[in-house]
Amino acid sequence: MSDLVPDTIRQKPSAASGPQITHEDIDRAHDRQRVLLARAGRGLFSRTRLLWLLIGPGILVMLGENDGPSMVSYAATGARFGVGFFAPFFVLTFVMAIVVQEMTVRLGAATHRGHAELIFARFGPFWGWFAMLDLVLGNFLTLIAEFIAVRAGLGFFGVPPWLAVMIAMLILILALITHRYWTWERITLAAALFNLVFIPVALFTHPDWHAFGKAFVTWHPFPKGGLTKDTVVVILSDIGATVTPWMLFFQQSATVDKGLTRKDIGFGRLDTVLGAALATLAALAMMLCTAPLFSHQMSAENFQGAEFAQALQPIIGRFGAALFALGIAEAGIVASITISISSAYAFGEVAQRPHSLNLPMKQGKSFYTVLLLCAAAAGALVLVPGLPLVSVILIVNVIAVLAMPPALVFLYMLVNDREIMGDLVSPRWANVLATAVVILLTAAGVLFGVSVIAPNILTHLHFGGG
Amino acid sequence: MNLEEGTATAQEDFVTRVLEHDQLSQGKKRPVPRRHLRGIELLVLWSLRIYVLFMIAVVVYQVMQSMR
Repeated sequence: MSDLVPDTIRQKPSAASGPQITHEDIDRAHDRQRVLLARAGRGLFSRTRLLWLLIGPGILVMLGENDGPSMVSYAATGARFGVGFFAPFFVLTFVMAIVVQEMTVRLGAATHRGHAELIFARFGPFWGWFAMLDLVLGNFLTLIAEFIAVRAGLGFFGVPPWLAVMIAMLILILALITHRYWTWERITLAAALFNLVFIPVALFTHPDWHAFGKAFVTWHPFPKGGLTKDTVVVILSDIGATVTPWMLFFQQSATVDKGLTRKDIGFGRLDTVLGAALATLAALAMMLCTAPLFSHQMSAENFQGAEFAQALQPIIGRFGAALFALGIAEAGIVASITISISSAYAFGEVAQRPHSLNLPMKQGKSFYTVLLLCAAAAGALVLVPGLPLVSVILIVNVIAVLAMPPALVFLYMLVNDREIMGDLVSPRWANVLATAVVILLTAAGVLFGVSVIAPNILTHLHFGGG
Repeated sequence: MNLEEGTATAQEDFVTRVLEHDQLSQGKKRPVPRRHLRGIELLVLWSLRIYVLFMIAVVVYQVMQSMR
């Protein structure tokens, strides 16, 4: 590896490049050069450095999905049902997320193509546009929900809504300003780790560790009243808080943009599992944070985030409540970055326009324009008075669950496509798991449909609490 | 060979040595061949499409109910 050309050649970027090599290629090559050098080394330091270089998309996608509506959903779960059935259920949903996201790592590393691009290329524009329609609808609604979370979180400190939206937009632009995937990834990772702020906040509430530990063994207590319409919505909302279509598009495209290859798949998997572990900790912490509201029998039905902080203030103090509100705002900001980027990647792949975070502004005009327009439009909508924002918060996760089965079937077909995957097609056990996830998500959707159309049927099921 | 050409060649050499061919912007322009969907695949895709459309209608109904 020592014969690799040193960094100094980057002094003359695209202007001097031949027709084959672009600025994007040069930036990616520099990132890959560091990976190759670390891989060539021996010992713990080299392996640790390799891990440091290769982590990113997995942690970002998992912590990014611990977004505004997800954190509100976890908070609502804790406040309405306390610690019990939902503690192990959260872990189960993140295991589901690992199964799903691992496939995108393999797909991206094996094909070097984004998710939208592969769907269009392999299945044609007819099915491609359906997939895009689901993505666009889901992403836009979720982006609106992210800005609602930012507004609610910063609103706790008296920040006016317009300023909260501007702060979120400014952070999004600052993360992009270097036009370098690596820098963007590290800045966003640092911001995403703030999601763990809910852990100290949970400790402030002095949780009942015995009940918490017992819940993982018994899955009890089950929500009072059994499987009611409300419980179904919460279950669906919590599933939608961990697996959504944008995650598939984002992680695969980010894997490609980062330049991961077949040799990096092991680290890609580790990155995904690490991300899921951190996200599970944050989700469980959030549940523990709001569980005291359940004990005090406080109604939290229409809370948007900051209301939880206000309600918890007598228990966790002003400092704890402030951390909580900051955590909600941060969740919205990080997700608004990752979700608008997933939209921009998908647009670039479908429109066959340059799409990379390594693109300078001039070469990536359409990519950056779509990215910023998505975020700006969602941010502006949040400022329109009289819009039913609470409804948006409540339905985004539900819509995510409903749109997942078709998205997963495309993913399943792609990872089993020997023509593009070669020997990296899914093994049988992975297919069994993926099929189980599709069936589970479809069943959850059907259960939701039944709970809305014919809620009386649920009472005859006699499932759980009674 | 002038300095600019030399640098460009060095860049090209470096990039092609470090990246896999498919990772280059040029390589990504190569079209991925279309595959033919089988009957069972079409059945699953259509069923799920109808499921999504129906369920979105259910969500809209529920939102309207809750807003009333």
